[in-house]
Amino acid sequence: MSNPTTTDRTTTDGAHDDHGQADDGQVHAHISGLGFYVGIFLALICFTVLTVVLSNVHLGKLNLVVAIVIASMKASLVVLFFMHLRYDTRFYSIILVVSLLFIGVFFAYTTNDTERRGEIDLDQGVKVLPSTGVIAPGGVPAVAVAEPKEGAK
Amino acid sequence: MATETTIQAAGDHGDHGAPGDGDHAHPAFLAHHFDTPEQQFDAAKLGMWAFLGQELLFFSGLFVAYGIFRSWHPEAFAAASHQLNKTMGTINTIVLLFSSLTAALAVRASQRGDKQQTTILLVLTILCACIFLGVKYFEYEHKFHSGLLPGRWFGVAREFPSGELLKGEEIPLLPAGASAFFSLYFVMTGVHAVHIIVGIGVLTWILRRNIRGEFSKEYFTPVDNVALYWHLVDLVWIYLFPLLYLID
Repeated sequence: MSNPTTTDRTTTDGAHDDHGQADDGQVHAHISGLGFYVGIFLALICFTVLTVVLSNVHLGKLNLVVAIVIASMKASLVVLFFMHLRYDTRFYSIILVVSLLFIGVFFAYTTNDTERRGEIDLDQGVKVLPSTGVIAPGGVPAVAVAEPKEGAK
Repeated sequence: MATETTIQAAGDHGDHGAPGDGDHAHPAFLAHHFDTPEQQFDAAKLGMWAFLGQELLFFSGLFVAYGIFRSWHPEAFAAASHQLNKTMGTINTIVLLFSSLTAALAVRASQRGDKQQTTILLVLTILCACIFLGVKYFEYEHKFHSGLLPGRWFGVAREFPSGELLKGEEIPLLPAGASAFFSLYFVMTGVHAVHIIVGIGVLTWILRRNIRGEFSKEYFTPVDNVALYWHLVDLVWIYLFPLLYLID
């Protein structure tokens, strides 16, 4: 993803240090070209069409993976170019990445609990897998953990 | 930091502030507790990114809840997802992506000091936001009528209000977990819609300030930051769309 259409920063010395700013106290924004932005937008539309089309193809469990991967590619385009992270101070990227990291921790630890309750509550004699509601050997009666009146009927 | 050769905001920015501490004049937009426009710009952007990080964590709770319930009721989620209107979802995705483009271009126009173009692009962004909400209204309305509602209201609308029955539309019997799907659907899209509404408000505020001529090549920070917020709203939708509408 080179950027041939972009006009570079307007500093006379063209300084490109870590902060992406010349040291004259002024704001030096990287200004991308109009065509560049439109190109990113068209790529986003293509990904959208792709994900809709692929959602109609039966891939089993892979469907979710494909959807997440495509969404993440779209998100990367938005973050890198629309939100200028590609050209901005690296520190903003660190904030973003750390946020995502903690979301990962949140997700991993929570699902590690919710997906294994049927296995870990042996001590209390509860061994019903929440995913199925089916009583496992040694578990409590299924009624005790069956979902309370789901109003469907 | 400030060197004696620095000339602040030379050129087309008319109203310089009063001269500051001797060797440089302060532009009107520069708050007195900042040394340079660059420092002010970086501080504002850092604050914005910290806020965006917080927003991601805020939304993550809903996404984790979604993950848990989907893994508990995979079939119900698939069946319930098929009740959503994929076409409307796709249209809204494209509308929101387009509004992200216009927001990015508004920043670009502002960076180049093109006030009129900034105005047009901000108006376009706000319009797209309204279209998004309009489409959402029709989606919600259909679900209200079909009883595709959260928790204990799930299925209720078939009898009421006013004994009105759906015209010719067959509502398939959905598995029990489907009500969990619609709880998440309404909370996730609802919180997202609240962000859209807030975004319309903030964009309008920035639009007004732009029309009043507060921004220039040297000072476009608010336009930049409001666009960052708007892109975040877009980012959340980029994930909501496949997770809610496109379950196989």
